[in-house]
Amino acid sequence: MTVFFRSLLVLCILEAAGCGGSGIDGVDEENNIFVSEPDEIFATQNSTARFLTQATFGPIPDQVVAMTGGNASDWIINEFSQPASLVLPEMESFYDFFNDDELSGFASSISTFAYWRNVLAGDDQLRQRMAYALSQILVVSNGGGELLTDVPEAVGYYMDVLTRNAFGNYRDLMHEVTYTPAMGHYLTYLGNQKGDPATGRVPDENYAREILQLFTVGTVALNPDGTPKTDASDAPVEIYSNSDITGLARVFTGLGLSEESFGTNEEDDIATLMAQPMAIFEQEHSSLEKRFLGSVIPANTSAAESINRALDVIFNHSNVAPFVSRQLIQRFVTSHPEPAYVARVANAFEAGTYTLPNGTTVGNARRGDLKATISAILFDEQARTVQSSPFFGKVREPVLRFSAWTRAFQVSQITPQYVTALWDTSGVNSLNQHPYRAASVFNFYRPGYIAPGTASGTLELTVPELQIVNAASIPGYANFMTYMVYGRDPVEEAQELAEEFDEAGVSLDPQAALSSFIPDYQDELDVAADAAALLALLDQKLTYGTLSAKTRTAITEALNNIPLDQDDAEFDRVAVAIVMVVTSADFLVQR
Amino acid sequence: MNRRDFLSTVGKTAISLPLVGVGTTFSVTPVFAANPSDYRALVCVFFLGGLDTHDVLIPYDQPSYDAWVRIRNSLVSAQGQTRARANLLPIASGSTVTASGTFALPPEMPLLHSLYQQGRVAIAANVGPLISATTRSDFQNEAVPLPPRLFSHNDQQSVWQASAPEGAQFGWGGLFADAMLSAGANQVPEFSTITSLGNELFLTGQVAKPYQVGLDGAAQVDFLADEDVPAALKSVLRRHFAGESADQINVISRDLGDAFAGALTANERYDAATASAEPFNTVFPTSPLGAQLRAVAQAISVRSQLQAQRQIFFVGIGGFDTHSAQATDLPGLLTQIDGALAAFYQSMQELALGSNVTLFTASDFGRTLVINGDGTDHGWGAHHLVMGDAVSGGQIHGFVPPAQLDHDYDSGGGRLIPTTSVEQYAAPLGRWFGLSETELLAALPNRANFATEPSLIIA
Repeated sequence: MTVFFRSLLVLCILEAAGCGGSGIDGVDEENNIFVSEPDEIFATQNSTARFLTQATFGPIPDQVVAMTGGNASDWIINEFSQPASLVLPEMESFYDFFNDDELSGFASSISTFAYWRNVLAGDDQLRQRMAYALSQILVVSNGGGELLTDVPEAVGYYMDVLTRNAFGNYRDLMHEVTYTPAMGHYLTYLGNQKGDPATGRVPDENYAREILQLFTVGTVALNPDGTPKTDASDAPVEIYSNSDITGLARVFTGLGLSEESFGTNEEDDIATLMAQPMAIFEQEHSSLEKRFLGSVIPANTSAAESINRALDVIFNHSNVAPFVSRQLIQRFVTSHPEPAYVARVANAFEAGTYTLPNGTTVGNARRGDLKATISAILFDEQARTVQSSPFFGKVREPVLRFSAWTRAFQVSQITPQYVTALWDTSGVNSLNQHPYRAASVFNFYRPGYIAPGTASGTLELTVPELQIVNAASIPGYANFMTYMVYGRDPVEEAQELAEEFDEAGVSLDPQAALSSFIPDYQDELDVAADAAALLALLDQKLTYGTLSAKTRTAITEALNNIPLDQDDAEFDRVAVAIVMVVTSADFLVQR
Repeated sequence: MNRRDFLSTVGKTAISLPLVGVGTTFSVTPVFAANPSDYRALVCVFFLGGLDTHDVLIPYDQPSYDAWVRIRNSLVSAQGQTRARANLLPIASGSTVTASGTFALPPEMPLLHSLYQQGRVAIAANVGPLISATTRSDFQNEAVPLPPRLFSHNDQQSVWQASAPEGAQFGWGGLFADAMLSAGANQVPEFSTITSLGNELFLTGQVAKPYQVGLDGAAQVDFLADEDVPAALKSVLRRHFAGESADQINVISRDLGDAFAGALTANERYDAATASAEPFNTVFPTSPLGAQLRAVAQAISVRSQLQAQRQIFFVGIGGFDTHSAQATDLPGLLTQIDGALAAFYQSMQELALGSNVTLFTASDFGRTLVINGDGTDHGWGAHHLVMGDAVSGGQIHGFVPPAQLDHDYDSGGGRLIPTTSVEQYAAPLGRWFGLSETELLAALPNRANFATEPSLIIA
């Protein structure tokens, strides 16, 4: 273990509930920290890189070398203590460089700039991955072209809520999310008034429905292993009806933007207001009895108390652990987890603790603990054993494919403000996915998606990411990556950027495009003449030793058609090989 | 796994649909569709989020209009002059309607109003998912089986498209296409079902799979289109982008490889077919729906190059989940629908295919009649449009419940209990498309639970 990695470790006793594990074999005198014995997970560079592919935005080669021979339990304890890289402070660094009175693509993208920077360059990699996973359960989107697009602070604050709570408790997260203006606006309960019998007006039901259906319990009763409970006729059992929704809708009335403004109209300080919890307007909150999920909140209960009690009722439903656990497993490890795997993770969620392989217990023993949950996901035998099961694995999300490339080749300057292709990657001719920009509250894909007319579909396997793989998005992704890997012309980009900045009144130097997101292919260029050596390097950096013989043959054949005596042959060979790896099934399916 | 292997796998596990009650209400017809020689297409326009059709088919006779205004007072006030009775566009109800009073379209829809009055557009009243006929008391007492997960967006989209909630595998558009493929239509099966959106359930059959076309044609891999890439290298890359190296043991890898293979060949074929496409004189709006319907019209214009006699298209736009700010947000969408559909009708006239192409609308659900402040919440039944020269237009087909609360078809808050099931709505479209009665019943599992269906198509 190198000094580099040791310096990242901290006293596990500060973070973990109990440190006296059997696997801890000593204290590093120099840094005064515990160091566990080497484990199997970090035994080889490939096994280390595989773990980091599941747990981060992509392995960085130097870090893989440094971590190999270490211990993954130590690693996760260290991750838990990493300070959160937040978006709002990062966004502020842009304020001096543009005119925020005018809407522009630049102005509305500053949360995206900050986000890319944090996830690609931040040291809190597991926290960022967890927040990203949570953002696909508790979905808000700034793709609607209205308030959440125009006021990027709204989603910036929302990102920070998820990031701050990523290693916290799901119940606390439900509370904070409920009060965010981003969610309030997205699911239309910001400014939601109590009913009025005189006019027939009733409370907006949007949040009441989706917090149940999408954020916490789903629609049908679940066993602890995530499989649906069935009735006597073998049918799933629905756990609420529309009357539960109308009852719960009364709870989410009376939340407004600030003490002065119930709605969101024309506020001068809207950027500030959208970046703090919503305010309660007691007079707009329903004073009626609220009846849902077999519980009753009595008449005349205050807004804060009603929300608190309602969130308790929802959170205490037995569906929450398997519902959330299965989706998180899908985001990190495998698309169709075995029920027993879901049950083990749900158990950690319920218990609020998990004992790592080195004997350290993480989590504070409160139900919904996310440290325990993510540990149970990553250290489960299903995640750690190399799976030869034909049903194991997941399609890497497009965002994670791109991020893996940036980190594998340590791109220079992670300054997305100078790369317009990164301002919006949601298009089908781009990544077909942009963080916090799903087409709807149903995310980019559904956790229960079974791809019709496919081999996995025939077997009734849920493979969510296949929902965005099709005849338009496949070439779109290939072209986007070709552009990033190979095709950029920074001089031309700088010229276009200069025009863009000029129009939007941005006082940044467009010439910075020349040094932004430029990959370092030096290792590869050094061996470009030797196809086998080049492939070995790329396999290590991108596919942790899983590049198949067939893919190697295909790439070698391609390289044979790029003779070394032609201009730029080394670069072409390297770039073509990388494009082929990142468009190969070996890379695209994380196993 | 090649396409043929795949089909044999699917065939073994396919669910066979029970044909309960078949034969009592239908005349004797062939079991299979006849081999088609002419061209016919169905175009589904889906309003994602749940279109409030209480604000599309508006009560027009004074008492009904007044009742509607009373219930929707806060919304109608916010809508201002656009919902003043004098500014509505009254329509003839025709002979196929059951309703008290008369109706109008909103002023955002002048072109569709005109097409309706000319008999080119029909309205199917109060359509939605049903297992069997249902009234308010049936609903309240759960006296009849109800569609699963009512009022939930994703599930009701799925039920509309596939008669089952999220996780469903086959949509009735895809099954309609399957029937015609088995009857010998479409030498190139890839273009039987086409969408401008994503992996649409509606268009997925056991054989038919949706093909995603870009708004300006097929997407291409730049590397393969680049003239500077030498032929030998290109041929290696082409095999790579056809997913030939994908591991076949892992099913996800196999599916991905198949997706790459299907995408590459379909895009290449589509591209070759559209090379000869003639531009339309019709000017399509540049709106999202206009652009999608333009892409559909272009695909139809090259139908012979695509070797297609029967095609089903799926397009859609979002924004209809108007829980809030409905007065601000919905009018623009209605205008968009009006412009895009009318242009599409015009473009089919240009191709002389007015009687060969039938467009119909769908949505997650209708919405509440009551208002939640400035919007409406999830409902159930909704009114829909059917357009084309084969349509029995200028008529409202079916029962329009009154603009009141707590009637026999109000499930609460003016969430209409449908009086025409989705499958009753789909059946005449499928029959016109060429399906036999047996095939219709197989594609529409609950159709047999209803005695009649709306006569949407001119006999």
